[in-house]
Amino acid sequence: MRRSVFLASLLVMAVMVLGGMVAEHGSFVASAQEKAASTAEVKIDNFAFGPTVITVPVGSTVTWINRDDIPHTVASTEKVFKSKVLDTDEKFSYTFTKAGEYPYFCSIHPKMTGKVVVQ
Amino acid sequence: MLRKHAQHVVLIHFPLALFIAGVVFDFLAQKTKKRGLLDAAYYHLLGAAIFALPAVVTGIFAWQFQLDGQKLKGILLMHLVLGSTSTILIWMAWALLVRARRKLPEGLPVFRLGLETAAVAIMGLTGHLGGFLSGVNGPS
Repeated sequence: MRRSVFLASLLVMAVMVLGGMVAEHGSFVASAQEKAASTAEVKIDNFAFGPTVITVPVGSTVTWINRDDIPHTVASTEKVFKSKVLDTDEKFSYTFTKAGEYPYFCSIHPKMTGKVVVQ
Repeated sequence: MLRKHAQHVVLIHFPLALFIAGVVFDFLAQKTKKRGLLDAAYYHLLGAAIFALPAVVTGIFAWQFQLDGQKLKGILLMHLVLGSTSTILIWMAWALLVRARRKLPEGLPVFRLGLETAAVAIMGLTGHLGGFLSGVNGPS
């Protein structure tokens, strides 16, 4: 009787420990995913967006930083987002909440193009 | 369609070229006292004054429709100020030349040439900034 109670207690404790470990792993994975989804950066330099195509998970915030000597803008082709004129070292951020492809260009230099792919 | 076409960048070359050529003719007319050269200067400056208007209008359109009329700063603001000054100087130079033509052969007021020289310098600076802004040289 005592032995079966002891074994049952061990079993319960094992289940509790394992459950805790799984929960912690799950929250770790979730927080890691949250971190992965949080930010991405696109540099504007030499009349080009770098990288030209960036792929991010849903919920990510993409930040464009103008490292060029010339002002640029970031304007969505489908008018989803548009920045003000960005001087050197100025930034513009947008959070993508829906999956899809978001082509954009610089409204001052329309041949400068890029794309954000949200998965 | 118009949004992605650089109308201002194309049109601005007409008043620039006409004005600079007109100033050259004016200087030559001043030196040689030849009426024909002065007439050439007059028509070149007239053309520059006329073509300055669509250049200004397309520049304002680019500001309003490509940049949503945002408050300008830095190179863009400098380009706007210098471009506006250039337009005023073009019209002033033309107006003074109109009056000067009537006074031949008594002579031409020399200060006009100083004004035209300053206008060429300011237009050159405006165009230089415009070249930077338009990315005419592209990625290096």
